[in-house]
Amino acid sequence: MGNLTRSHMIETGVWLAICIIFFVYSFEFNQPIEIYKFGATGWPRVVLVLLLLATIGNFFYLRTHGSAVQKGRVGIADEDEAGTDYSDTGAVMKVVGVLGTPFVFAMLLKPVGFYFATPFFIALIIFLFGERRVKWILGITVLIYAMLLGLFMVVLNAPLPQGNMSPFYDYSAFILTLNTQLQQMW
Amino acid sequence: MWENFAAGSLALFSDPFTVAIFVFGVLGGMLFGAIPGVSMLTLAAILLPFTASLTPAQGVMLFAVIYCTGTYGGAITAILFNIPGAPENAPTAFDGYPMTRQGKSGKAVGAAVLCSAIGGVASALVMMAATEPLANWAIRNIGPPEIFALVFFGLAVASSVGGRSIWKGWMSVLLGLIIATIGQDPVGGINRYNFGFTDLAAGIAFVPAILGFFAVSEIFVQAEKKATGKFDAPKVGMSFPSFLEIWAHRIAVVRSILVGFFCGILPGIGATLAAFMGYGEAVRWSRDKEGFGKGKLEGVISSETANNAATGAAMIPLLALGLPGGALTAMMVAVFQMHDLEPGPLVFYNSPELIWIVFAAMFYANLSILFIGLVETKTILYLLKIPFQFLAPMILLLASIGSYIGRGLVLDVIVMFGAGIIGFLLRRSGYSIPGIVLGIILGKIGEQNFAQGMQMVHYDLGTYFSRPICLILIVAGALTLLAGIYKAVGSSRSTASQ
Repeated sequence: MGNLTRSHMIETGVWLAICIIFFVYSFEFNQPIEIYKFGATGWPRVVLVLLLLATIGNFFYLRTHGSAVQKGRVGIADEDEAGTDYSDTGAVMKVVGVLGTPFVFAMLLKPVGFYFATPFFIALIIFLFGERRVKWILGITVLIYAMLLGLFMVVLNAPLPQGNMSPFYDYSAFILTLNTQLQQMW
Repeated sequence: MWENFAAGSLALFSDPFTVAIFVFGVLGGMLFGAIPGVSMLTLAAILLPFTASLTPAQGVMLFAVIYCTGTYGGAITAILFNIPGAPENAPTAFDGYPMTRQGKSGKAVGAAVLCSAIGGVASALVMMAATEPLANWAIRNIGPPEIFALVFFGLAVASSVGGRSIWKGWMSVLLGLIIATIGQDPVGGINRYNFGFTDLAAGIAFVPAILGFFAVSEIFVQAEKKATGKFDAPKVGMSFPSFLEIWAHRIAVVRSILVGFFCGILPGIGATLAAFMGYGEAVRWSRDKEGFGKGKLEGVISSETANNAATGAAMIPLLALGLPGGALTAMMVAVFQMHDLEPGPLVFYNSPELIWIVFAAMFYANLSILFIGLVETKTILYLLKIPFQFLAPMILLLASIGSYIGRGLVLDVIVMFGAGIIGFLLRRSGYSIPGIVLGIILGKIGEQNFAQGMQMVHYDLGTYFSRPICLILIVAGALTLLAGIYKAVGSSRSTASQ
């Protein structure tokens, strides 16, 4: 097996799965285009075949060299090369938390809206990044929230998601009404 | 030319409101370019509806100025945080961010300021002198086969930098090309890979993808370092590069101006490819190839000169042919259309005052990068002193707003965070994020021009090789790929012999 590790096998498996899934799915839109001989599938299939060949090449490279950087490569930052020790469960939980929280925030934007969800998101991210002083978490949350509303709502009038569920929608409406009243004062 | 330039300058500076718009564009482009998470495109998208109340000259001038200063501004976040403000600043991060980690952030940002100004001013001068002849040359000599060939060359260059091995470089670019196929095909409009989501029929918007791969993935990388106790705050370095240091790289500057201008002049290619090719050529001609990616000043200089050199050139196909060279120039077409104008050859005859106000404004905007940029830089370097736990939510929220504003779709925010997670995992495994992004940007352009080219030559691929520019670019691309294979084989043999 050479220098192959379990993560290399998973990595190769994921790439092969991408190639297979995308190739199989290409039959869903395999329609001829009258003015173009290669149709809608020609380009993606060629790219997928090239990707498959590169995946095979990468597999053999990993088998021979492991995760080592190929000699003469440029533009690779040092931190990309460093392996990370995940023996500490707490560290794993923190990373999963940071990866998952923005995703949950994005999913909540439609029902809850930007105006309501944002302060909770800011406070949670600050907490997940290791800040434990409550006064600092609250203070910075209020500061960032105020700066964002000031720039995008008051100055630029940018349309942001308002939510579609009560009472979150009502909160967004309240904030926007305040903004209108503020602008009328000028 | 000088008379027209003087007339354009007079028109620009004689009206206080036009001056105010110019100053707003200069500062807004720099600021939005330099704030991690948002970019000049965010500002442009927000401002687009407001341009209806401006005159056509003011509207187009505002966007042209934002384009110049925003392209420079994106270098600051690339250097300080490893978050390129725009894709054209991605190669700047290759060496700029390692320089920050070595405490040389002032040198890197100073070089970016100076070289952005040099590249931009040179480009603006050539644009003023030669827009019409260059546009005529481009019409006669550049067609879909040449653009496809340049995309091929550009992708070959991109695959040769950034990944841990040549295979990972190629896989990154090919992944970007596959992502670019999501949405409607460019010839028949057939839906591809929407996996049942109707919103995906419009494709993956590249702003959320770029923000996810660059900004969000970087936050995740830093979060991982914090969690595992490996976080090392970047050092603030205030020393600027000396004149001699920049002078020592004069050949790289001139080469990047030429590369940037050539890429910028081609419709649809723009500053992103210019930056990659400027960087790629710097590596190719350098005696110290191994030093690139580890904090080499020449890397920052080459990339930043080339991308700003493309800004003036990108106006040539836009104004002379009506063909935008990138996302921001595409928005400029919208500004023209809002005022019942069509960019194209007739603009030069029907609205010469508009053209020369825009040219003059771009010249002064590039010049102002030098003066305002140096002052701004001293202030902005202190961003590095803000604890990362307070900067991270700000960047994530700005990126969310930047993604959402383009199309008003929450899906784009979800795509951005998805791209962030994928980018984080791929970076850990040594794949090239700039390669993926360039694949996404150039994928559709490459496919569209390949299809048009094949229809044009009646599917005779040999015709591609009978067109000199096309032949040169394809051969250059093929040589780049072969050189990569040669190095990979050589590397394997040396390992085997050990």
